[in-house]
Amino acid sequence: MTLISALNHIHKTGLFGNHENKNEENLLKVSEIKNLLIVQIVQYKNSTVLFENLDIDSLKLNNEPLSVVSNNDTRILWNGPKNWLLVSTKKDLLKNIIEAFKETDFAVTDLSHSRAIIELEGQDAKEVLKKGCPFNFNILEKNNSINSTYNGIAFTVDMIDNNPDKIRLFALRSFGESLYHSITDASLEFGFKSL
Amino acid sequence: MLHIKCPHCGLRSQNEFSYGGDATVKRPELNKEVSDQDWDNFVYLRKSPRGKHLELWQHISGCRQWIKVERDTLTHEIFKTLKANEEI
Repeated sequence: MTLISALNHIHKTGLFGNHENKNEENLLKVSEIKNLLIVQIVQYKNSTVLFENLDIDSLKLNNEPLSVVSNNDTRILWNGPKNWLLVSTKKDLLKNIIEAFKETDFAVTDLSHSRAIIELEGQDAKEVLKKGCPFNFNILEKNNSINSTYNGIAFTVDMIDNNPDKIRLFALRSFGESLYHSITDASLEFGFKSL
Repeated sequence: MLHIKCPHCGLRSQNEFSYGGDATVKRPELNKEVSDQDWDNFVYLRKSPRGKHLELWQHISGCRQWIKVERDTLTHEIFKTLKANEEI
């Protein structure tokens, strides 16, 4: 079976917007990220298991708001109280997660094929987000994540790096094209390179 | 535009929240005889105060948790926010 990515029909490579007379290196970069394992992990309210003792890819779950725990392959985003979103390039991690998180205490859901992922990289990345999202992005630091809305579309923001800003946006797959349209429209002012 | 401090996520825009009604309404106790009048009051009867009001809100585009918000319906000033299981 051929896998068709969420933004396959809308994402085109090239230079767009106000890019003329600008150094291509400094331009905002927009790309689609594919082939990631995305798993939602939720601990049931009546569960007494200590999630701090559980281990995924040498990472421990953290119940701190906005926090992301990460290594080179895997990032675990705080999504809400006892609610996490795991994103990993290791596709076979799902088996380990299902084994470690017993179904009597945790709801583990594979969302790999139900999210569209857009990555923004460059000094204007936060400015693009400010144009459609009510969150104060000045306080968002490296390894922070939030859930919010962009032009009314619910999305998750994962701040991967801050030098330069590298931000991943997750939206429901069915809203992916709308979010992509909104993000690229807001990026035209700065000029962007679509990878 | 209101800014509501979610007890889980911090200060966020009202855009991310959904209003959930009066937080002081108590459901009639289970397995007890309830008159039609009491049930009708529980389902439909709401106060419309001018001033302090304890409300339920859901952080629908954030952590998805229900929270309680004490808000002035006249000035929109927010005095306090609590987790849904906390009492004021």
